[in-house]
Amino acid sequence: MDNCLELTDISKRYREGRIDVLAVDSVSLIMHPGEVLLIMGPSGSGKTTLLSIMGCILKPTSGEIRIDDQIVSNMGEKELPDIRKKYFGFVFQSFNLFPSLTARENIELLLRLKGFQKDTIKQESLNLIEKVELAKRANFLPHDMSGGEKQRVAIARALAGAPRIILADEPTANLDSRTGKEILVILRKNAVEYGKAVAIVSHDPKAEAMADRIIYFEDGRIKV
Amino acid sequence: MSQGKALMLWLACKSLLFEKVRLLITIIGIAFSTILVLTQVGIYLGMMGNATSIIKNSDADIWITSKNIQNFDFANPMPEDKINKVRAIPDILWADRLIMTWGFLKLEGGGQEQVQIIGFNPDTGVGAPWSMISGKPSDVKGGRYMIIDKSSEQRLGTLITGSVWELNKKRFKLIGLSDGIKSFTTSPIIFMSYEQAQNLSAGFLESTETSFILAKLKGGKNADMVISELRNSMKDNDIFTKNGFMLKTIKYWTIQTGIGMGFFLTAILGLIIGGSIVGQTIYANTMQHLKEFGTLKALGAKNEDVYKVILWQAGINATTGYLTGVVLIFLLREGIERAGVPMHMSLLIIISLFFVILLTCLGSAYFSIMKIKNLDPVMVFRT
Repeated sequence: MDNCLELTDISKRYREGRIDVLAVDSVSLIMHPGEVLLIMGPSGSGKTTLLSIMGCILKPTSGEIRIDDQIVSNMGEKELPDIRKKYFGFVFQSFNLFPSLTARENIELLLRLKGFQKDTIKQESLNLIEKVELAKRANFLPHDMSGGEKQRVAIARALAGAPRIILADEPTANLDSRTGKEILVILRKNAVEYGKAVAIVSHDPKAEAMADRIIYFEDGRIKV
Repeated sequence: MSQGKALMLWLACKSLLFEKVRLLITIIGIAFSTILVLTQVGIYLGMMGNATSIIKNSDADIWITSKNIQNFDFANPMPEDKINKVRAIPDILWADRLIMTWGFLKLEGGGQEQVQIIGFNPDTGVGAPWSMISGKPSDVKGGRYMIIDKSSEQRLGTLITGSVWELNKKRFKLIGLSDGIKSFTTSPIIFMSYEQAQNLSAGFLESTETSFILAKLKGGKNADMVISELRNSMKDNDIFTKNGFMLKTIKYWTIQTGIGMGFFLTAILGLIIGGSIVGQTIYANTMQHLKEFGTLKALGAKNEDVYKVILWQAGINATTGYLTGVVLIFLLREGIERAGVPMHMSLLIIISLFFVILLTCLGSAYFSIMKIKNLDPVMVFRT
């Protein structure tokens, strides 16, 4: 099986006031295409820090990150935005949609950021909004949509430009049980049908049923 | 425009239009700041234009004045036969005398107004009014005739050609009306023949004295060389180029009296107010949308891309606010000028001030940019 994201001996240390915090301690893991990886663990265990490192948003203190055999952990802030743009799609707990943009425009924003041509953008954003079954809400602003609808838009945005890896941080935390399940199904479908490597950080027990692999995280370490 | 720039402009516009009330408040703030700056600059330039209009509109290249003169309006007498020294220089095409003095004009109701009197040679027209509504400058020749500027009607009452007025207890006939010739001091300007002005100023000006000698250079001759020659032969006088004398007058009113400084400080205050409004609005907007900017960074936008959104917003605010202010100024201008306040407005001033306002607004986005620079995209994972 191919590796699309490989973390080797990753640690993240930071200072909180006078205290030295080891948020991630010598973590190694691999993500494969078509696989849903579920990261579970108690609050404050370092799951989100790990997800930020996996998504090249946060630089590790030590260790190596490889994407498609390319070492990215030594890259600087000048190169990393392009890496994030090329390889990753992000789904956030509180959706993080742009309130001034409609559902479709939120997706178009990412396609434009990725340098897609104007005529492709229209068609691609329409395809994505249909994929999350929100075609009728395409021109709605986020404040006119339900939490579930917003998260679907966020997933469509994460899929824009066909990134290989989807990272989702507590994607069901702000949703009711049924909507949360629907969101997990969409994420699973993208792994199975489109070969995306999907990592989900969640407390939600429903997510366990959707995962191919589960890792438990505690005190910055993967619990064996 | 590159795709990246167009995207950030689009995002900036969307964000601004999403919060219409905030946008409106910002535009109103910048518009008032623009009005404040433009009126102060316009009035200052208008007043300086009035202070130097006679120098500017004379055909002379060189102005010879009494020693240590402060400005055009406060001329001291000097011997008029000095004109011969000027005429003796081969590079001088012509030289003529001009009197600038003060008098009191009796009004119809019995009161009086202080007036500025310009005595010029009606045969040559040097120093004569350059814009006439009725009559000709040469009509002042041969008697007690005068030309008054139409704009003086507010202070003097209706001006009818042919009417007779008492000036320094002597009767003068109004034979023409000039147009838009005003003094810095706002005193009405009266033009008359050189001889009449000299007679009228007895006690202040002797019959052999004048206020200024004006000279014109022959074509292509170097003013500096002639001025240097004149300075050697006329040590009791000051010699200026036309621009030099205008500058001397402007400097006096601007720096020595502090009047110009007052206008300058108010204009700066306007800029500070405008800049603060935009800066405060943009900063508040940045703080409110910090998560969106963080998301943009997390999704792959570079810091520079996010700066562009903020700078576009500052630029759009500045442009719309400035244009609104300019439109309002043009609507108010007639009223301001009708009230007797001179206001100079030109395309150059409007364009220059636009760049000043734009730079102020862009500069005021600095704190927002610093906030974005230090923004950790990890914050997008926090609820």
